[in-house]
Amino acid sequence: MQQIDLSRISVTEGNRLLRSLAEHEEVIEIINPDARHHIGVGLTTPVTVKIRGSAGYFCAGLSDGARFEVDSNVGWGLGDNIYAGTVVVGGNAGAIAGVAIRGAEIIVKGNIGSRSGQVMKAGTLLCCGNANFMAGYMMYGGRIIILGESGERVGEDMTGGDIYVAGKINSLGSDAQMTDLPAAELDGIREFLDRHEIAFSGSFRKIVNAGKKLRYGGVEPQVRPLPFFTFSDHADYWNPKVQEDIQIKALIGRYRIRGYGTARALPHISDLAFRRKIRPEAIEADVVGKVRMQTEIGGINGASPLKLTMPVMVAPMSYGALSASTKRAIGMASTLSGIAENTGEGGMSDAQRGAATQLIFQCLGGRLGWNIHDMKRANGLEIYISQGAKPGLGGQLMAKKVTPELARIRGIPAGIDLRSPSRHPDILGADDLVIKVQEFREATDYRLPVSVKLGAGRVRDDVKIAVKDGFDFIELDGMQGSTGAGSSEVIEYVGIPTLAAICEAIDALNEIGARDKVQLVLMGGLRDGIDAVKSLCLGADAVAFGTSAIIAGGCIACMQCHVGQCVTGIATQDPAHEARYKAETEARNIHRFFESVRWQIAAITRALGHDDVRQLGRTDLVALTPEAAAITGLPYEPEQQDAADAIAIRAN
Amino acid sequence: MSENVYTLDRILGSEAPPEYHDDVNAGHYLPAPCQVACPVGTDAPSYLAYIWEEKWPEAFEAITATNPFSSICGRVCDAPCEPACRRAQSDGPVAIRNLKRIVMDRLGADFRPAPHPVTRKETVGVVGAGPAGLTAAHDLAVAGFEVHVYEATDRPGGMMAWGIPAFRLPQRVMQQDMDRLFQKCPGIRLHLNCSLGADVTLAGLKDRHDAVLLTLGAFHGKPMGIPGEAGNARVVDGVSFLRRINSGERPTLPGTVVVIGGGDVAMDACRSALRMPGCSTVKVIYRRGPDEIPARKDELHGAIAEKVEFVYQTQQEAIEDTGNGLVLHCVSTRMGDPDPKDGRRRPEVVPGSRHGIDCGMVIAAVGQETVSEHLGGIGLMDRDRVATDWETMRTRDPKVFAAGDGAFGGSTIVMAMSHGQRAAYYVRQFLDGIRDPLPYHTPHRTRRVKICSDIMWERYPRHEQAFHGLGENPAAFPEIESPYDVATARAEAARCYRCDAETGSEDYSVGHREDIFSMARTSPLDVAKKRAMLERRLVPRPNPFEEGRPATLDDLVFLPANLSRLVIDPYREACRADTDLGGRMDVPNPLFVGGFDRAPEQIFRAVAAGAGSAGAIYVGVRAPGVGVGWLQLLNDAGGTPSAEASGIIFDAGTGANACARVRDGQVLGVRICRAADVGSIVPLALEIGCDMVLLDGAGNQGGDWPELKAPPQLTLLCETIALLRRMKREEHIDIVWSGGVRSGTDAAKLIAMGAKAVIYGVAVAIAVGGEIGAGGTMRFTSQRSHEENAKAVENLLRAHLGEATMMARCTGKTRLHNLEPEDLRSITLASSAATGIPLTGTAA
Repeated sequence: MQQIDLSRISVTEGNRLLRSLAEHEEVIEIINPDARHHIGVGLTTPVTVKIRGSAGYFCAGLSDGARFEVDSNVGWGLGDNIYAGTVVVGGNAGAIAGVAIRGAEIIVKGNIGSRSGQVMKAGTLLCCGNANFMAGYMMYGGRIIILGESGERVGEDMTGGDIYVAGKINSLGSDAQMTDLPAAELDGIREFLDRHEIAFSGSFRKIVNAGKKLRYGGVEPQVRPLPFFTFSDHADYWNPKVQEDIQIKALIGRYRIRGYGTARALPHISDLAFRRKIRPEAIEADVVGKVRMQTEIGGINGASPLKLTMPVMVAPMSYGALSASTKRAIGMASTLSGIAENTGEGGMSDAQRGAATQLIFQCLGGRLGWNIHDMKRANGLEIYISQGAKPGLGGQLMAKKVTPELARIRGIPAGIDLRSPSRHPDILGADDLVIKVQEFREATDYRLPVSVKLGAGRVRDDVKIAVKDGFDFIELDGMQGSTGAGSSEVIEYVGIPTLAAICEAIDALNEIGARDKVQLVLMGGLRDGIDAVKSLCLGADAVAFGTSAIIAGGCIACMQCHVGQCVTGIATQDPAHEARYKAETEARNIHRFFESVRWQIAAITRALGHDDVRQLGRTDLVALTPEAAAITGLPYEPEQQDAADAIAIRAN
Repeated sequence: MSENVYTLDRILGSEAPPEYHDDVNAGHYLPAPCQVACPVGTDAPSYLAYIWEEKWPEAFEAITATNPFSSICGRVCDAPCEPACRRAQSDGPVAIRNLKRIVMDRLGADFRPAPHPVTRKETVGVVGAGPAGLTAAHDLAVAGFEVHVYEATDRPGGMMAWGIPAFRLPQRVMQQDMDRLFQKCPGIRLHLNCSLGADVTLAGLKDRHDAVLLTLGAFHGKPMGIPGEAGNARVVDGVSFLRRINSGERPTLPGTVVVIGGGDVAMDACRSALRMPGCSTVKVIYRRGPDEIPARKDELHGAIAEKVEFVYQTQQEAIEDTGNGLVLHCVSTRMGDPDPKDGRRRPEVVPGSRHGIDCGMVIAAVGQETVSEHLGGIGLMDRDRVATDWETMRTRDPKVFAAGDGAFGGSTIVMAMSHGQRAAYYVRQFLDGIRDPLPYHTPHRTRRVKICSDIMWERYPRHEQAFHGLGENPAAFPEIESPYDVATARAEAARCYRCDAETGSEDYSVGHREDIFSMARTSPLDVAKKRAMLERRLVPRPNPFEEGRPATLDDLVFLPANLSRLVIDPYREACRADTDLGGRMDVPNPLFVGGFDRAPEQIFRAVAAGAGSAGAIYVGVRAPGVGVGWLQLLNDAGGTPSAEASGIIFDAGTGANACARVRDGQVLGVRICRAADVGSIVPLALEIGCDMVLLDGAGNQGGDWPELKAPPQLTLLCETIALLRRMKREEHIDIVWSGGVRSGTDAAKLIAMGAKAVIYGVAVAIAVGGEIGAGGTMRFTSQRSHEENAKAVENLLRAHLGEATMMARCTGKTRLHNLEPEDLRSITLASSAATGIPLTGTAA
């Protein structure tokens, strides 16, 4: 038996040693664990690890197939997202034991902290003592067995799975109910206890989801959108859109839902102009070869960066909101154009991985589709805090789109109106995030960039925290960013415009002298190479296109993404509708869109007198509107606007 | 998606002569692919939308505006719009052509358009009354010219009359179009049986008219040029055959007829032959394969359905007359290399594949030509066409123009019509003395019809018309298809994507979307298009926040919690909304209802009941009844304070002495309508111990529904708060806001700015079926029951409470009343100045 002594080496070195020893050892002993965090994180070899003492946060997290035996206690996040294997804890476990597990058997001989089994998908979590409040919070599947007391609000907002309690049930959580316990299930519990040599002869009561909150009541009438100028600009106060909203809400008794981003005009990056007159007719045909555009994102802390052939990426969009074919087409296009694609919330399919050469894997609070194996085959990891379209809200996927296949990848029951948690189980504050980021780095041996997706709100504060948390880059998403489904009021009135977001972010970084400590990728309502160059001038390191890429691939902007029967086969999981989407054809179209963007970036950069996109700066810009001038601090030079007004209507 | 829409022209746009009805530069519109593909620029999306609305006359107008042969086109147009339809790539194009037919069938026969009188002294001579000639005549007549049309045969229509059999285009349908044309254009004088060269000469026409347009058509079938063809009565050309049929003949044909060719004439010929007495088998010989055959797919499928045999990859070599029949000697072909000229793969002969096909008759439909010895004699012909310059539509004679098949070769009806339009344009420019006219382009109009809201629009499959084939008496030529019923037509029309219409998103407007489509359909090597697109994209938008824009709630946004504040899960976690008014009254939430005192009695009762169910207080003069909280409003006309009320709100004009509770525990308030009163009334209210002020942002403008008169005056709220802050009395009195509250979001913003509660008036009126009329009136015409209306009020208030608390949770608040001004940002300078809420992005 090999020993790893954590009093002599760091956890990172210890984990590396553990992985290499596991290749040929059967049992490995870790001594002097000293309750340190991340012990055993990312181990995917079938080996037994005996931890002689107490472990800290995320012990055995993101592992698959190993057996961990901890003599004493563990901190929070025990067995985080574990796929398969066994964890036995001799003492107590902190909060969120068994969080987001996708299989495995976790046995805690003592008590467990609050929110145990939060968002778990499968497997068994056994607590031999008492559980603290909200055990099984938002769980999607699997079972929790509690031999002692349940704690308050057990099964709070659980969607699926079973909770068995032998001791006192202190109180039931929202949307949880007691139900009969079939004999076969009781036999299964007994078998589990016997197998793990736990003597217990008491009886159990079973708690399951009560089914009151899984689906929205009433059906929102599907109405195609009014043209935006009927409810914005100089429109009446009680305009047709206001009236339509009221009429529909009076029918359904809840907020309306739709797809896409803000509908009305907001201050936009297109309210800026270039200081120099761009003369398209004078641009060289081979301008792309004359401007350096290669951009590396994510390498500033030593990870292997994303290598972009231009400062452009694809914005995160999920398989779920979008059809598998659409994700494949976008992936192919990203490969053809030499840029990075992003999985969004919905997990990573083989098709997506195969199509995109560079793929960022996104982790959300519901941990839908999140797992160690896809982490390892990703090119970047991203923690979603919020998105520009609906910051503060979790992802929303209406039941029509939650097909069995999709549910399988996400690890959730099919056919529910999925409203993803808006908060991570293990991130309640900025300091938690530091430890979470480290867990991801440990799991992938510091090889991959770790980024954060932030919807723009209090950007000035949020960006400073993101720097402190050690992210390699920030994907900053203004309120013009789109969504597949969200509350229309939140889409319209929560968050700040993309233009303001980048300005606040750069200000904040400069304030703390940290501009070189993190990279910024800007997104939210950007549509072409002109928007991209202006973003770069304002300080972004790269930009991302989401909706524009979808439109390039055939989306007609009918804003009915949430309904799930997308007429073009993009925002749907209905096979008959998806069959309408020709992935190869659209991949080529999306690719050509990106190549148009590339040409525009090169053309403008060159016309501004530069030969490298890194030379772009604020001095290349002026503001055309008082708002844009006030937001950016750029000189207000509306003369350019006046000259353009005569023909502006054409571009409208 | 049809790529040929995304040409340089679409990016560059085009300048149009002022007399054009062209909307492409009017904003919020780009012609849809179907409209671009239509040679005459038919506003198909508008007529489809009108069909869904069952507005037949409007649909009719949209169809006929650019097309004098709409009934004809509704049946036999080549319909290039349909392959261009974006839905073609999805689950099949919208049946644009068939939908035209139902409109024309419903309205066409009796419709009589207003005549366009002759207003010009110049006259134009047009030779040939086919689609090109008559369309040109139409355009010129509408422009005020007298037009004389010289037609060699005994009827107008050209190939429409002589080339299309009645089972596809009944005579009466064509007659309807002709009747309408001559009704609309009394300036058109038709001269039938008047042949160029025999009855009139070009010189004569030039003398008689100020300009001449030659639209001769291609009336003569080309010979195949194979041995045994010439002089054999059993071998005819396709157009001659169809001409016989259309003149009414029903000749008895041999049992087996062979048609050679794969175009539309071949389709009409084979299907006509099959309907003739004696004929049992018709074979179509085509030298390429089924993927290459140029016939319109509908007609091909129709012919196949009628059991016409198709013999592909076969080329005729010679005809042998056996005395009682023919043998068509053929070779087999296979597809070879692409032709450098047209890119189509050339058929190659398969060696050793000679074979014979027995038949009684051969119809050669291998192309048409124009024959005019008269024009040839004066040097205006170029082989089998009138020599014509496409850029000017002129012949070699500066006063003589030409168009249509006779000038540019055999094409379709709608293409010939577009030639007619183009020629008419240049003729008119010529007659107006404009030497260097702007280049012609097809005008595109929109009628800006609302997008239909059929919930099934994404799911409906393409509907086909019922197909009847030969019918019981084939030689009588019954129509092959019957039109849709209205329900089917509406469903088919609902399938339209409405590519023409403005989207619901400013960031992804129709203009932006089409630019992105264009960018996605531009080759990386096409520098000209890339330059043009850059030029177009560099044009900034007009400032959306023009000077003088008033401060509005719309310009305020909430700052969400992210990292610096803990997120509250809006789907699950609780957010309290319970509201304490003045320390005297606990209510479940701060969303009140008011303003229905003079509404119809049944509306008032429903609103009161709905408010009660939602836990909302009613604010008004009238008592809402048992079980509903009531803040009694004493208007300036006085009124008696009631002990029943939970609170009493006096008018600002009421003397201080009169403001008093009638029982203990009542909330005491005063109503302020004008910012000018804030400075005097607020201190007074504090002095006499008021619990609240009612700020009426709609102002005391008299009449019902003052909220409809003007947007709410936010300064009233801001000045009240500012005064209370200066007095350090913010905590001593509550503010209830009335005026312009439309949503839960509006409520949350007002609460964040300092209101304790808000009152919904017009919003609730709309919920119970109120319709806003001109001049700020409200009409209740809905026939809904009391229960339905009460439920609607309850639903609206619950939805708004959901929205308001969702806003609070997004900002990280577990209590609605914890919202504060710091949770807001302004997106415009005007709103920032008026409310004191910082502009987003600025270092506040």
